[in-house]
Amino acid sequence: MSTPPSPSAPGLRTTPRTPRLPGPRTTGLAVLTAATLVLSACSAGPGTGRGAGTDPDAGPDQAALTGAAGAGPVQGGVIEYGHLQEPNCIFGGWIQENFTARQVLDNLVSHTEDGSVVPWIATGWEVSEDGRAWTLRLREDVTFTDGTALDAEAVAYNFDYWLDGGNGTAAAHLGGFYDHSEVLDEHTVRIHLSAPFSPFLSTISQSYFGLQSPTALQSRTDEENCTEPIGSGPFTVKDWKRGEYIEFERNDDYDWAPQNARHQGPAHVAGIRWNIVPDNTSRYGSLLSGEMDAIGEVPAVNIAQAREDYDFTQYITPGRPVVMSLNTQRGIFTDQQVRQALSFATDREANVASAFLGTVPFEPSGYLSQTTPDYDEDAAAEYPFDLHRANELLDQAGWTGRDPDGTRTKDGRRLQALVVYGLNSIITPDGNTVIQNFQEQARAAGFDLVLRPGTPSEFFGGAFSTPESYDAQVGYWTSPHAGILNINYRPSTEEAPNGANTTFLDESRVFATIQSALQAPTPEEVTERFSQAQHELSELAPAIGLYTQTNTLAVGGDVTGLWLDPAQGGPVFHDAHFTSQDARDASGTLTPDTADIPDTADSADAPVENED
Amino acid sequence: MSLSTRHPSPSPTVPPPVHPASAPVSHPASPPASSPAADPVAARDRPPRGNRPSPAAVALAVGRKALGAVFVVWAAATITFLIQVLLPGDRATLLLNQQTGQVQERTPEELAPINEAFGFDDPLIVQYLDFLGGLLRGDLGISYTLYQPVTTVIGDQIAPTVVLTFTALAIAWVIAVVLLVLTARRTPWVSRIFSGLESAAAALPQYWLGIILLVVFALWLGIFPVVSGSGAAGLVLPALTLGIPLAGFLAQVMRTEFERTLDAPFVLTARARGMSDGGVRLRHVLRHSLLPGLSLTGWAVGAQFSAAVIAENVFARPGLGRVLVTAVNGRDLPVVCGVVMLVAVIYVITNLVVDTAYILVDPRLKEAA
Repeated sequence: MSTPPSPSAPGLRTTPRTPRLPGPRTTGLAVLTAATLVLSACSAGPGTGRGAGTDPDAGPDQAALTGAAGAGPVQGGVIEYGHLQEPNCIFGGWIQENFTARQVLDNLVSHTEDGSVVPWIATGWEVSEDGRAWTLRLREDVTFTDGTALDAEAVAYNFDYWLDGGNGTAAAHLGGFYDHSEVLDEHTVRIHLSAPFSPFLSTISQSYFGLQSPTALQSRTDEENCTEPIGSGPFTVKDWKRGEYIEFERNDDYDWAPQNARHQGPAHVAGIRWNIVPDNTSRYGSLLSGEMDAIGEVPAVNIAQAREDYDFTQYITPGRPVVMSLNTQRGIFTDQQVRQALSFATDREANVASAFLGTVPFEPSGYLSQTTPDYDEDAAAEYPFDLHRANELLDQAGWTGRDPDGTRTKDGRRLQALVVYGLNSIITPDGNTVIQNFQEQARAAGFDLVLRPGTPSEFFGGAFSTPESYDAQVGYWTSPHAGILNINYRPSTEEAPNGANTTFLDESRVFATIQSALQAPTPEEVTERFSQAQHELSELAPAIGLYTQTNTLAVGGDVTGLWLDPAQGGPVFHDAHFTSQDARDASGTLTPDTADIPDTADSADAPVENED
Repeated sequence: MSLSTRHPSPSPTVPPPVHPASAPVSHPASPPASSPAADPVAARDRPPRGNRPSPAAVALAVGRKALGAVFVVWAAATITFLIQVLLPGDRATLLLNQQTGQVQERTPEELAPINEAFGFDDPLIVQYLDFLGGLLRGDLGISYTLYQPVTTVIGDQIAPTVVLTFTALAIAWVIAVVLLVLTARRTPWVSRIFSGLESAAAALPQYWLGIILLVVFALWLGIFPVVSGSGAAGLVLPALTLGIPLAGFLAQVMRTEFERTLDAPFVLTARARGMSDGGVRLRHVLRHSLLPGLSLTGWAVGAQFSAAVIAENVFARPGLGRVLVTAVNGRDLPVVCGVVMLVAVIYVITNLVVDTAYILVDPRLKEAA
């Protein structure tokens, strides 16, 4: 059960494979590394430029430099990584499943820090005149780890699979746009959409759109596809001890990393042990004690220290930030002036700074987070803290009476609203503090906000999903592009209900603007239309921005080269390596299969059964 | 487990649960303690050894216990089933939302395949009978979210939890007994201090204690790993986290009886025979105070299973506690029912063991039974 370093390891296939250097391949590798250097240079540092790598020689570019210098990064070793939440499956529609899928599956394209999209499995693409057909050319040398070829057929199969229940989040993004896939030749596939969708490439860069072997999807059980999906990625799932760790093993044949990877070829390390460490103190403690080489979700109280002592990266998730959605269909927030008043009523910036100790950025926009491409700063800044203005608006709206407790009244009704949120499932304890501060500050303008934290089963069960069930709801939705507005603000209709419209806003003008942005032919026009949409939304004030959803990563001195995937913020281990031979040798090994029947030579990358 | 701390311990450490085949002979055949003749408790008012309850009476008693056990397990399963099914919120919506991390309303078209697959649309009685039928066949169903058979989910996680809870229990007993024997009715201030410490230990919140142990022994001193995993070295701190508060409870309930017994005439007699103080405490007095401790143990096993989740979270240990919490949050009915029934079974077995242990410790109960 424990994983002692095994001295008798040479016979086991789980030992860190000896470096493949030197050899003819090395030169190729070095050339490739040098080539990618140019690329990675323009996207300096992982994250969004807000990352603070304080360790002088720990930056990914530095790592690439070392690689190009000739010696090459240290090969082998197993990285111990500590993560907050355990996924249900390796691949799925939940953000946690996105993180694990990123290690095992490849995507057609990859998202970079500057918001552009670069080749991965797709080497090139073009979109038709009418914007409704995307033609993707694929690499010709890619195979899934079960030997199935990753060709046009496989891509077409995956599109149908995602949209047909294989991934609920993928379906939320492309549902309503995806029509069908057409195999043009073995390595060319055309995706037909029912309407133009400008953020198409950005959308499919998320690991919700990770490519899996059609053979595996069709021939294996749900359980197998859940715990050990077969992709073509840099790692395969070796073992999963639920509640303890997931082990990923290097895919030695990997030679098709995305263009923005720091190196080409197989991963440097032999594997990753993805430990599930739910407690904040323990997780940070395990980094302090050196048990973990890296951890995610650094607790807010430790971030200042982590910036000093570790290679620390913070990723600000694009998409919908953490916002308070106001119910525009029922209750006090049907009145636009009341919504605007609440937007002005509190000092949200100071609130967020105090609740998160200054570690998480305030997000003034209720619609997009500041790292989303096409974010409009002016629209976001329309509601500064202005209690006077809030009071004016409420007076104009007729809320002029006062109850003894200071709450405003109108025709005997109190200015009262039920605010619901999923505590500890969607909103962290620090986020809870923000909401409580907000409630307290809003009293000054005469609002009586009643907070109702909900349990996960209530929330996910849909207890707070209808206009009757709340006045305001707090939540977020990550997305690499502004197309999230289409998910959140498409009016719900009889034929096409939209449960993701949590403000229940039914404004055809805003919807038309969003549609025009999705269908705009040039990037400039896309930006312009999305800006317009943000201004229109800001005027209507159906949501109030609170703070950004962030991901953090702290890496100790023994390991370098980790970066956060710009599409969703998960850690990418393909380029990671140990900083010295000693650190590598001190690392553990993956759980040996000593009890098993010895594997045959060719099965190194075959799906491994979970035997325990 | 518990009785291993008894001194001397001639009988098997864990007495077999009462069992129809062995019951009529096993008890009388294994005289409980070392020297019945020297033990006033054993000797007092005892009918001659030959006067045993009839096999039929024993069988009846055993049968009644077995029936009771089955009833407890059935009731646990049924109540869990009903709670899970009748809680507000639609189960298909819950599954779909969990798969995407959203909390929204879903359309009937989206829900239909899930309802179909899991039978959520069937009449409640049909779902219940399916569920019971599965139980009888030993089929606990497939987890809604993990796609694994529940037996696999539980099988993978049961060992760490059982090891943790029983190690914690053993630690609690060792601490409690050592404290009692050494400190009860000594110089007043010694007794008072230790009695106070026991109260304090019993009142310690496990989460807080776990964090303190973690910071001191894993982070500062570096003696134990921070992330315990399922290894042996990682067992110590989690077991102490659960064991120390329980030791406080145990010692407290046993102390009163222990001190009362020290005043009993037979203790004076024993001392008069020249028995040492340690001998008196261990051989005579301790046995009396074991009974309340045993009662508490029956409860503690169940309680430790639910408390285990705290230690599992703090020390990043795998185990059923975490599985249960996740499953409850996700209303993963098959997993919740599976774990609850497992805990019920363990609870029932422990109580049978405890009942048997009573009889071993206090022979008067044998006649009463």
